[in-house]
Amino acid sequence: MDPLIFFIGYITPYIAFFTLILGLIYRVVRWLSIPIPVRFPVAPAPVTYTGVLKRMSLDFFAFRSLLKGNKKLWIGGYVFHVALAITLVSHIINVYFHELWEVIGYGWYEAVLYSGIFFLAALFFLLVRRILLPNVRYISKLSDYIILVLLISIVFLGVYMRSFGLVDMASVSEYMYSLLRFNPIPPPNNIWFLTHYVLAQILFIYVPFSKISHLIGWILSTTRNMRNITRWKRHVNPWDYPVEVITWEEYYRKFKDELDSIGPDGERR
Amino acid sequence: MKVDTSLPARKYKLYATWKRDMETMHLPFPREWSHTQFNLPPNWKEVALKKMDEVVNKFRSVKLFLDICVKCGACTDKCPFFLGTLDPNNMPVARQDLFRSVYKRYFTLTGKIFKGFVGAEELTEETVELWYTYFYQCSQCRRCSVFCPYGIDTAEIMIAGREVLTAIGLSPRSLTEAIAKCETVGNHMGIPPAALLSAVQFAEEEIKEETGIDVKVPINKKGAEILYVPPSADFFGGPHWGTLKGAIKMFHLIGLDYTISTYASEGGNFGTWLGYEHMKKINRKLVEEAKRLGVKWILGGECGHMWRVIHAFMDTMNGPIDFLEEPVSPITGTKFEHAASTKMVHICEFTADLIKHGKLKLNPDANNQYVVTYHDSCNPARVVGLIEEPRYILRHVCKNYVELDPNINREKTICCCAGGGLLADETIELRLKAVRPKLEAIKRTGANFLACICAIDKAAFTEYFDHYKLPITVGGVHELVGNALVFD
Repeated sequence: MDPLIFFIGYITPYIAFFTLILGLIYRVVRWLSIPIPVRFPVAPAPVTYTGVLKRMSLDFFAFRSLLKGNKKLWIGGYVFHVALAITLVSHIINVYFHELWEVIGYGWYEAVLYSGIFFLAALFFLLVRRILLPNVRYISKLSDYIILVLLISIVFLGVYMRSFGLVDMASVSEYMYSLLRFNPIPPPNNIWFLTHYVLAQILFIYVPFSKISHLIGWILSTTRNMRNITRWKRHVNPWDYPVEVITWEEYYRKFKDELDSIGPDGERR
Repeated sequence: MKVDTSLPARKYKLYATWKRDMETMHLPFPREWSHTQFNLPPNWKEVALKKMDEVVNKFRSVKLFLDICVKCGACTDKCPFFLGTLDPNNMPVARQDLFRSVYKRYFTLTGKIFKGFVGAEELTEETVELWYTYFYQCSQCRRCSVFCPYGIDTAEIMIAGREVLTAIGLSPRSLTEAIAKCETVGNHMGIPPAALLSAVQFAEEEIKEETGIDVKVPINKKGAEILYVPPSADFFGGPHWGTLKGAIKMFHLIGLDYTISTYASEGGNFGTWLGYEHMKKINRKLVEEAKRLGVKWILGGECGHMWRVIHAFMDTMNGPIDFLEEPVSPITGTKFEHAASTKMVHICEFTADLIKHGKLKLNPDANNQYVVTYHDSCNPARVVGLIEEPRYILRHVCKNYVELDPNINREKTICCCAGGGLLADETIELRLKAVRPKLEAIKRTGANFLACICAIDKAAFTEYFDHYKLPITVGGVHELVGNALVFD
């Protein structure tokens, strides 16, 4: 077998998968290992857990905070994330549970292709916006463009393969199952599939080291997930330390004459 | 949104701390320096990176926020300092990036390997200069956080950034001068006990002239039920004066057993803007004084950053405050359960409760000369809590009350742009630019009285209205309460 095919078919898939999972776990554990010294939510913050759940759900399902701030970006971002979710779910069904489409209906299988087109459109919108808007261009680093280009390439290849039936789904499925059994067979020798596949592996590896870790990180956002009960229930800061302040006695000695002019021991009743 | 890449706001820098204040406050590297000549210590870089490592590992929010920002740009046009100057470094995300790029370079794997590709940058003296400039062009009002899809809070990153700046001996005079006074004299304004007494006596005389009533304000009174802590600006006069008088009149009318203190005569807390330690120190004095005087609980005056500290930090930093009692209004019997642990209540909560129970005799016609609008200060509004109470009071004490534009009201408020240590003469040009949208909104309402519950608001808006020659009076909610009180 071609050593390159061996490498990207037998070795890197495992590296990519485990980097993604273990990397994200490491990331979350690292965040969790840092204390939250103060309770400091941002308005409008609820006082109950139900309220927090509601707030977080609205942020997750409707991107509500973003909706308040930027409607155009909201549309682009929302379409992108929904299409991404549809794509991920349909990939799992396609590859591992292809028969499920019979239950769900092949109409939906067709519809997924259109979600791919929306996916592409949203990505282009985000990229063009990043290039054209001066304020967004100013805050963009090279990596912010590259990730969009990477996603566009992956999605484009996917949509293209699917549209023209360039890949035999059954052989991809067979190969993917063999990976699961830790007994891989050679991957389908198809340039479209292999390119799509390698780019996706790069994406997997990149996720935990980059801003894409926001996919989990947002849950830990202290301005959003904390209850507004700070004066009612004491929040403990594990690294708090005592401080020295001027005592009343020192203060009294310093301003004795003035305080005595107010009254004995500085008291005015 | 246009940006001006010539960085027009880079010229606005707060003046340097005096050497003597650095010594008083035990700040690192006390020395002569200025905002143009930092005279950094030789090992500044090592110290800065060490401090940076410390802050990102002490505050989960800071590390998280540095890691997960996706640069979507939703916050870019939300910061008044950006809208006013078009300086791209005043976009919240770019402001954070000044810190984030250094964090990436020294504390993340991708930053160490890929450097500029992921936006990682070396820490240089120029970076420090940008930090000192732009970290102190943020009033920490948290408006950007409201609109961020992940709630990323620039204020928290600025708090961390300022900790690092302080560690290498860079902090502005506008903060340290007030903090040093507070920690040695008792309040930010540096009002010594005798001057505080004369201010109070002066207020009593004025009240006597206006109403014919003899009022006496207890000072340092042991065994009083409540310790009242207004911001010290209230004793100083100006737009704050009416608030002090209003509160005194109200306390007299309801027969409240209270005292003010000369030792803890500062409700405000400039330490908040410098870092954890000095915030804790200034707040500590309130707790110590409440203990010494043997009061049951503490009542805070109209002050914005006081609100931030009492509502979010006080109990954590200086608790458990178990030697005080759970606050109960002696007049209405209302238990302030939401303050059960901190034992400190804001005067707006207290007064709204009095009104609700009909314990104040009010004649709103007394404020008929005013069309009143209310400015939501950043702290009471966004550090969650005081949005309805002041409005409830205002609707009972005046007849002509109008709301501001909803886009810059309540939790979306644009602040006075003078918080966070920016209330200094050298930043007036910057502040006038930043506060523009708010001033326009105030003008549109046709109001001639701007009510607010923050001492910094009162000082800043008075300055702005003077500058633009707008016939609008600035005052506290309790100034209007004081006007409306009926003396039998």
